Order: sequence, then C-alpha cells, then structure tokens
Amino acid sequence: MPYRTNVLVCAGTGCVSGNSFGVAQTLENEIRKLGLDQEVQVIRTGCQGFCAEGPIVIVQPDGIFYCGVQQKDAVYIAQEHLLKGRPVRKLLYSPPAEKKPIPALKDIPFFAKQRLVVLRNRGAIDPERIDDYIAVDGYAALVKALTEMTPEQILGEIKKSGLRGRGGGGFPTGIKWETCRKAAVSRAVDPVVVCNADEGDPGAFMDRSIIESDPHSVVEGMIIGARAIGAKEGFVYIRHEYPIARERLKKALDQAREYGLLGENIFGTMMNFDIEIVQGAGAFVCGESTALMASLEGKVGEPRAKYIHTVEYGYKNRPTNLNNVETWANVPLIINRGAEWFTSMGSGDVSENPWGGSSGTKVFSLVGKVKNTGLIEVPMGIPLREIVFDIGGGIPEGRSFKAVQTGGPSGGCLPESALDMPVDFDSLTEAGSMMGSGGMIVMDDQTCMVDVARYFIAFLTEESCGKCVPCREGLRSSLDALNRITQGTGKPDDIGLLREIGEVMQDCCLCALGTSAANPVLSTIQYFKDEYEAHINKGVCPAGVCTALIEYQIDPEKCDGCHACVHGCSTNAIIGNVKQVHFIDKEKCIKCGACVEACKRNGILKVPRSHAA
Amino acid sequence: MKTIKLKINGIETEAEDRTPILAIAEKLGIRIPTLCHHPILEPYGVCRICTVEVRVGRRIRMVTACNYPATNGIEVLTDSERVRRDRRMILEWFMSRCGHVPVIEKLAAEYGITEPRFGRGDEECILCGLCVRVCSDVVGAHALGFFNRGTTRVVSTAYDETSPKCISCGACAYVCPTGCIKIEDDEMLIRKELPLGPLTPVHIPFMQAIPHKPVIDRESCIHFKTGDCKICEKVCEVKAIDHTQTDHVDEFDVGAVILATGFKDFDPSCMPEYGYGKYKNVLTGIEFERMNSASGPTGGRILMAGGGEPKSVAIVHCVGSRDERHHKYCSRVCCMYALKFAHLIKEKTGAEVYNFYIDMRCFGKGYEEFYHRLLEEEVRFVRGRAASVSDFPLNHTEVGKLVVRVEDTLIGQVRRIPVDMVVLATGLEPQADAKDLARTLHISCGDGFFAERHPKLAPVSTATEGIFIAGVCQGPKDIPDTVAQASAAASQAQTLICMGEIEIEAATAFVNDEICSGCRICNTLCSLSAIRYDEEKKISVINDVLCKGCGTCAAACPSAAITARHFTDQQIFSEIEGVLYDVRT
Amino acid sequence: MPRLSIEDLKKIREESKATLTLRSGQARAKITVHMGTCGISAGARDVMGALLKEIEKLGLTDVIVTTSGCAGLCSREPMATVELRGEAPVKYVDLKPERILRVLREHVLEGKVVVDFALASGCETTA
Repeated sequence: MPYRTNVLVCAGTGCVSGNSFGVAQTLENEIRKLGLDQEVQVIRTGCQGFCAEGPIVIVQPDGIFYCGVQQKDAVYIAQEHLLKGRPVRKLLYSPPAEKKPIPALKDIPFFAKQRLVVLRNRGAIDPERIDDYIAVDGYAALVKALTEMTPEQILGEIKKSGLRGRGGGGFPTGIKWETCRKAAVSRAVDPVVVCNADEGDPGAFMDRSIIESDPHSVVEGMIIGARAIGAKEGFVYIRHEYPIARERLKKALDQAREYGLLGENIFGTMMNFDIEIVQGAGAFVCGESTALMASLEGKVGEPRAKYIHTVEYGYKNRPTNLNNVETWANVPLIINRGAEWFTSMGSGDVSENPWGGSSGTKVFSLVGKVKNTGLIEVPMGIPLREIVFDIGGGIPEGRSFKAVQTGGPSGGCLPESALDMPVDFDSLTEAGSMMGSGGMIVMDDQTCMVDVARYFIAFLTEESCGKCVPCREGLRSSLDALNRITQGTGKPDDIGLLREIGEVMQDCCLCALGTSAANPVLSTIQYFKDEYEAHINKGVCPAGVCTALIEYQIDPEKCDGCHACVHGCSTNAIIGNVKQVHFIDKEKCIKCGACVEACKRNGILKVPRSHAA
Repeated sequence: MKTIKLKINGIETEAEDRTPILAIAEKLGIRIPTLCHHPILEPYGVCRICTVEVRVGRRIRMVTACNYPATNGIEVLTDSERVRRDRRMILEWFMSRCGHVPVIEKLAAEYGITEPRFGRGDEECILCGLCVRVCSDVVGAHALGFFNRGTTRVVSTAYDETSPKCISCGACAYVCPTGCIKIEDDEMLIRKELPLGPLTPVHIPFMQAIPHKPVIDRESCIHFKTGDCKICEKVCEVKAIDHTQTDHVDEFDVGAVILATGFKDFDPSCMPEYGYGKYKNVLTGIEFERMNSASGPTGGRILMAGGGEPKSVAIVHCVGSRDERHHKYCSRVCCMYALKFAHLIKEKTGAEVYNFYIDMRCFGKGYEEFYHRLLEEEVRFVRGRAASVSDFPLNHTEVGKLVVRVEDTLIGQVRRIPVDMVVLATGLEPQADAKDLARTLHISCGDGFFAERHPKLAPVSTATEGIFIAGVCQGPKDIPDTVAQASAAASQAQTLICMGEIEIEAATAFVNDEICSGCRICNTLCSLSAIRYDEEKKISVINDVLCKGCGTCAAACPSAAITARHFTDQQIFSEIEGVLYDVRT
Repeated sequence: MPRLSIEDLKKIREESKATLTLRSGQARAKITVHMGTCGISAGARDVMGALLKEIEKLGLTDVIVTTSGCAGLCSREPMATVELRGEAPVKYVDLKPERILRVLREHVLEGKVVVDFALASGCETTA
C-alpha cells in the first residue's frame, strides 16, 4: 500500500553536519510511536540545494518545506503536522523562486549516484585541523565505544554490520577481530592492530584520498578496533610514494596525541593505545599481509605460508589484526549509527552469515577511458553500467565501451556482457575478476586486451619477490608468451600454455600475489579470446595498439600536404613535397605517433600491418 | 597433544594434530619429492614441488606438504593427475633456469619431461635457500642471504664480498642439493691448522687415542662461538653428546706419583731474525711434522702457504737451543728429526734441501748411518748457524724467495741461499708451569726440568719419597730413552706397591702430643711435606715414612715438642761431653 | 592543548561546528581549495597562492580560505568550493590562478556565480 505522506530529510553533507540523521531517526521513532508507520515514510534524500538553511525537511505531497529542523522539532512536526495535519508555522521555509543559473549537485550523475560513507567529510573539512573533524561528530564514536560499550559489544556490532575487508580479500572484519582477540586472550599475549596503507595496485588511490581528506576517520577506527581487540600498539604501514598522505596522517596523530586521544589513559579511561607510522620502500609485495608484517619487523618484505594465520601468529609472532584503510574508516560510523543502518545499504543478505552479501558502500577509483575520472563511493550492488555510464559519463570521444578492469593486477577484465552485473564481492569473483581494493579501469575499443594482460604481467614480474618458483618463473614464462603474441610471433599453443601456466600458478604459488597473478590473463582469454587469436593467427592487433602489428598510413583523401607531420618525425620517415599528398616509409617509421599528434586534419591512421614481410 | 585421523592416498592413518603432511607421509613410506626441505631446518616451502591435493570439508586445496599442518578428517592425494600436472610444470620452470643440474634432471625424468617448454638455463643455483637457512638458523653465522627481487634473485654474501662472518664451517656446501657451493682452499686455513689444531670440532684426537672416541674442541665448535648449531646432538642416535659438560676436579689418595708432564715446543717468535710469524712459509719443527702427517691438514703433502710444493727447503738446526740468549742446553732430538725432515722432503717433493747445523748429533743406534744416507741423497749440509731469514731480494734469483743468510764455516764465507720454505728445528723447553708443579709436589726443579735424585744412579726418582719422574720433563731426550725411563719409573712405583711394607729410616722425628701447641710452624718448614696438622686434636703429626730425620722441625719448634729420634738433646750433649772428655780433665 | 575529557570534546564540537559552517562569526564567505595530490599536481597550490595574495591585496577580513582533501572529480581539478552565508555551496572546476580571481570578484564580492566554470551547487549525499 502506498504511503500517504513522504517526509524527505536532506542527507546532503551540509545538512548532515547539522544532524539531519538525528532528525530523521527521531521522526521515524515518533512515527512508529504514533502508529503512523504504515502511512508515513521517511526518506533520506540528496542535497536539495538549501544548504544554508539546513537541516531541511520536506513533506510531500503537501509541498511544505521546513528549515533548521532540530531533533526536538522533529517530535513536534510528527505530532502536529503528520498526525494532526497542522503544519508547524515557526519552522516553515519558503524556498526562493528564482532558479539558480547552474545545476544542482544532485542533478549531476557523477555526484547524484554516489553515497558517501567513508568519504563523508571529503571536501568539507580541513584534514589538518582536528577541531574540524570533531565538529562533524568526530571521535563521538570513540566516546561511545569507550563509555557505553564493552569490547564484546563492539565486536558484536561490527560482526552484525557484515563489514567485509575493503582491501581486496573481503574477509568479514568482525570475525577477524574476534579471532584475534580470542588468540590474544588464550595465549595471554598483547595483540597488535595494523592498517595496510600500502595500496600498490596501479591506478588505485582510494586509500591515499581517504588519508589525505580525512585521516582522523582512520585513526578513530583503529582506536575503536584496539579497544575491541585489546591492543595497546598499532601501526600504519604507508607506502613511500604517498608523502602528502603521510604528512597529514602524522599531523593527525600528533594532534590526537595532544588531545589525549592516543597514548595513555585515553579520555581518562584505562585504555592505553598509540599508533606508529612505518613507511614502505617501494615494494608492491609488501601490501601482502605476511610480507607487510615482515617489513614491519625490519626484515625483508617477503611473504610466508598462511597456513598459520596472522591473526594468531603475526607481527613478532603476536596475534595481529590487519585491515585496509577503508575498512578502518567505516568503523566509527558503524558504531555511531549502528549495524542495522550499515546493512540497509548494499546487496545480498548478511543477517545470518557475513559471507552472504556485501553490506555498506565501496570506494572506487574510476579511471581510464571514461569522461569523469575520479574517486567515487557507491553502495554495494550498484550495477556496473551505472558506474561506467552514469557516474563515469560514458566513453569520451565517441568511442565504444570494451571492458572494465577491476581489482588491479589481481583482478580481471569484464566485457560488455557483464555491464548489468551488480558490483559486489561475490558477483565480481564469480565472473572471473574480483573487487580488489577498488581500482576500476575503463577501456574502450582502442585498448588491446592482450596488451593489457601483458602490462599487468610485466608489472607483477617486476614486483614478484622471487621467493617461490611458480611465481618467479611462471610470471617470466607468461611474459615471454605475451611478448611473443604482442610482437606478432605468437604460436597457436600459446593460449593453452598461458592457461596452463595460470592454473598451475593458482594452485602452487606461495602468496596471493602469485595465485591471483593469472587473473588478468585468464579473464582476458575467457572474454576476449578472439583478440588473442587475431594476434596469433592473423598477425593483427584489432585495437591498433601493438606496435609490431600496426603501421601508420597517411589517408590520401585527408592529406593536404601541410608538411606538419614531417616536422614532428624524428626518423625522416615521411616523404612528400609541400602541398602534395605525403607518404610514410614503413622501413623508417618507428611508430612513435608524433605525426598523429601533429596532423591537424586527422589524416594519419593506424592500420594493421600488411604482410609484406 | 591431540591425535587426529586422516587419509593419505586412501590409507587411513593417525597423527598428532598439526603435523606437516610430509612427516606423516614419510612414516607411511609414501615418497613426496622435495628440493628446499631438510630435516634439520624449519620448512621453507618455496620450491613448491611437494604440492599435494587436500580435501578439507567440501573444499579442495593445493598445499605444500612440507609445512601444511594436518587437521582432523582431511584427505590427501600425493600423486593425483592435478598434482602431477602441477609438479611437471614446476620442474619445467626449474629447468628453464637450471637445465643441467643433476638433481633437477633426475626429477624431471621421473615426471616424463623430455622437452622442457621453457628451455634449459645454465644456472647452477636453484635458489632453494638451504644454505642461507643453515647458515642463519643452525650455525648462527648469518654470512649468506638472498639479494634482489624477482627473477634477479641470487644467493650471496653482503656486498658480494668475502664475508668476515663466514666461519668456514662448510655447512652450506653440505646441505646444497646441487653441489654448486664449493669450499675454497684458503691459504689461511693451512696456517691455522698447523699448530696442533684439530681439523673439525668433533674429532678423535689422534689415531692411538684411548678411549677411541671423538671429543669436541671448544675453540672451533660453532656452538661455543654463536650459541646455535648443536647438529651433532640432533643426529646422535644414542644421545651421547652433552655440550654443558665442564672440567671437574677429582681427588684421589695415592701413595706414588709419576710425573710425565712432557715439554713445550720452543716458540721462535722471540727470534725475529728468522721471520717466524712474519713469513708464511717459515714453520717450526712440530708444525712441519703435523703437515707431514697423513691425518694432517694436507693429507701428508708438503705444501707452501699459497699452495704448491716447494722447490727448495732450508732446515735450520739449534733454534732456541745451544743459545746463550735462550737455552744453553742441547735439545738432543732436533738433529735427528731435522735429518728425518730432510729425507721426507727429498722423498716427497724432490726439492733441494739445505741443513744449517753447528754439530751433527747422531748418537743412537743407526743414527750415524742415517746421516750418511742423507749425504748420498744429496741433501746439502752447511756448517754454520743461520743468521737470518728475509724476503728482501738482492738479485733476480732471490725474488719471491726466502733468503737464508749464513756463515758457511767450512769454506769461511757468508752465503745467501734462496729457498721456498724454511723449517726451524726448534728445541724442547720445560712446560711453563713446571716450577709451580715442582713447588706443589715439593721436588726440585733445576733449569726448569725436574731434578732427579742422582744424575747417574737414580735418574727416575726425586728427593721426595714416592714421587718419580720420566721423560722429557726430566730433560730433553728422544722416544727410546723416554720409553726406557717410563718403564723404570713404573717399575719403581710398582716396587713400592708390591712390597707391602716399607723400610723407613730409623732416625725420624716425632711430636710430643702433650707439649705441642698447634702453632704449625713445623708444617711449612718440612721440605718433604711430612708433617700434617690434625684438625680434631689440634696438633701436628709427623709421617714416619716420609720423614728423613733432617731435624729442621725439631730445631724450629718453639715448645720443644719435637724430638728427632737418636738425636735428642740429651744424647747430643752426652756425645759432646764424650768427645771433649780429655779436654775437660 | 590539554588532554580532553568527554565534556571537552562536546564543547569543541559545538564551537567548531559553528565556524565550520557560516552560522556564526564574522565571516560571510568561505572558499575551500581542494588539495589532494591530484589537485596539487594539477596546480592547486598556484590557485591557492593567487587567491591568498588577492585577498591580502584587497584587505578582505570576512572571507575564510581553507583547504581540504580531494573533492572526488579528479579529472576536473583544480577545484574549489565557494560558500556564501545563506546560500548553498558552489563547486568550481578547471581552475587556474586568473579564474579564481574572477570567482573572488564576481561571486564572493558581487554575488554572481561564474557560470563558465561552475559545476553545480549543493552538497553531496551521505548515506
């Protein structure tokens, strides 16, 4: 049965900072108390554009606008307006009639489709002022966790929320915390909490942005986690290549320490906890948890077998709880607003079993061949199509969509047929990719999928620690095969060989870098086998990328002899007199593309190599 | 310790919870190939060749058998199709790097690889890490490590330089499965071995040792250097090794003591003119003796410090002996052993040999004849005391040689003779603590050698009854003479024991119990340690057997409690009166 | 700064909240220049520098200039958000030093949004 009345509460960050969520909560409570919950619905909406007057509450279909609504006002509104039908005069608001010359943020898909949880404070606070963070209810969750909740209750809340690791593994965070605490208690050893800020995936910058925009959200999350687990020591392992993030985090820690939020007797309670920043040194493999812990201990950053879990025996053989930056940043909100609110977003059902769904939101770095590149946060389960075409704005320059790469070097490429898939942990894994840490690279028809596979394998070959044979030699032999294929000397057996190498690596590698290394290759073979076959059997790169398989040709229809390309060519490969059609000498052309850049008439084309050789 | 049940290749078996699958399989006689595994090291799990298939619940996992902890109810397949496929490719990968390493080729043949798809590389090291791990975890030297990342990974030492941490134990070469680690003959090694050091920390001291059991040398044992290792304890099946043993002192009550404490080799470091310790190829007699021994560091070969046999050797007699500055006596044995060396050098290397002597002392049976034999073997004898050994060349024949400068007294000329190696026939010295020992036992010690009771008639007994001496501790002598003295001392001691009773001197002293005040002045005065102090009665007591009646104690006793029998004051005064009878009247 | 008790936290929250928005105090405008690594590499520091210099030159005392992290739409950096008291915040994109000066003059001082490089007005949606 449809609701007779909808109460729209603005959930724009401006109104939220005025406690619009508290208002919404109070409205819901009152509506339930008055027995109106079948007739009246409370909806949290995007920014209505009246930020200066917020919190804004709109009652439809009455068309009544209320401004500056406080929680106590909400009680009044519920009783007077919603029950008795009498609008509350003193809160009424007349929105200005004139339309603004520019669109509202809520009408721009890039922003409209996002739901900020982790990034709630982005753009709104100065990350180097702790008072700004406190102004937006910062550290209130910590107060609640310290004074109103026991460690077991905190564990329970996190478990109930179904929060799963945002670093790529998707392991239920509550269970991880609980196992760590149990191990620490049973062995009577102090546990350690670690934040993995090593973010090595090329093209991923979620963690960097979170720390740069809102470092205290991570710090608060870690303190709450430390209370739940019983830890006195915490580390943030941040990669060397993030100097600004590291500076801001250091400032945040210093300010928190000055306020007594870190160190001894936090908020005057018995809790002691402090965090140390440890810097990485440029090794992708140190994002793997056991390698990270080895590096923390000052040893060489190499992984070890995980048959013995790090939650039981980790840093210096102590129970160690390692979580990603984004995971930690979710914790304060879950404590403040409750597990139920968190599970109201996302896909699947985590009420019985956290593996049954993906609750909450995920931050993605949307990059590549898409109009709007940037950092986005969306509820889990949003269709991939919406991300690419609505938020991303579609493929620029009129080109067509080809694939989306998710999960970095551990993930895979998904084709057009996967566009309607919901983006969450399990759907992506089923389709042959994985969520990973949140890197999302959009590719158009000018991307060669074989070259993409080759790129990732080359990256991993550089970054492999080299300890175990299947990873070290498997990546090398995969790279040899992919180089062969992209250079036009691929053999028909190579596809089967790459598959076999991938399968053996999945079986036998020591750590997740190795076991997931085959994903880019296997997923591109699965969905884009025709491209591989074109390279091998026909010596053609359909996307026109692999330099060995293309040649540059001047379109005689378009060329007007302006000679611009000749000036750009460093090998004197272009022949032609001014005002006459020019011609490229294939022998001399090194396919650098300088002429294409120089030509104003789009007269130079990349065409498949002709088989003169 | 919980016991769990599991299945391997369909066989049901039991094991302790969390035991690695490899250990369980070994007990059942199921062979799983390994490359980076070794029983004395923690599992490393990098070669991945021991991968097996494990069903846990409904899930199938591929895990490494060497370090995967078995849990209850798992089913393991060690040789399924999938396992074989995985192992085959891993071996092909090994071959792409180390295509000609025997242990890899053997395994590859077992898995039917004839044409490895990734080629055959020429590396020797399979990067198994056994050497690194044994050096860090067992030996504790930390001289080896892995360097670089990915395909450029190598095993090396810090900065690729010879590591000062390496203690040359050879453990890395021992565990290496491909044999690509070699122990190089370091010239320092030969030098260190020569001064009577053992070759390995665990060794049987010498061929004729009784009991014929090995001992651990504290100086070279790795455990006492780094605190780790103890491999010997781990592998000893009868648990006969105990590193915590220390020296302990046992006390015996005996009636006779034979001192056969031997000698000390003269150290020519105090004679800088011979360059011992400065030049690597100048050796003492005992060092050269050790080198010649078939059980020695070179297996009996005569080698120079840099390797290779010498073409010419100088043997210098009377080093430290017959020398005003060091020892005036002749050490008796050096001439003969110097001749023996000359003969051995000729026999083993055919090098030119020079003996620089003052007199040739060949006093024993066949000794003179041996000397003449050497003259026939064309050993060069130069009569003259070698003055110096130096490496400073004055002409091209002396470059790279040790030059011995000597006055050849038979031709009256100073000669410079360049040689490759110099052997100093060092003399014999008493042990450093001989004087202390003598004092403890109340025997005399002349020039360091223990004094016999009579140089001609009592060579093996001392002034103290019951203490005998034999061998070089009494004076330099060679083996036949030492053996003869040893028999003599033994038989004299035996005589004491067999007699059952001893004849003692009648003129001994005794202490009057009632007068003795227990001042103990007499205790220290007795040079034969014949007086002891009775703690209970608080008086001194004289041992009749030891006392020789010298009367010193009687004279010293302030209470006149000691009487020398047959020399009482009464008797002495009577004697004097008797002698002076005629004078008196 | 002293160690906080829970009461202190509440007090700071109230005080800072007021200044974070423009509800109280002297300021009638707040300009936030977004300085994440993406913004900085696109030239946000120059934009900030030009803005501060101009404000000093004009002697303005009621305009707050502050920074924050990345605003999310990295492809349009440098970005800045301009909020006038009583109005919704406006997000500007593709900024350069001369453009931010135009924003300062036309929007902050004269009240007219610079449509050429204004993206939109309003706030993002929190879940």
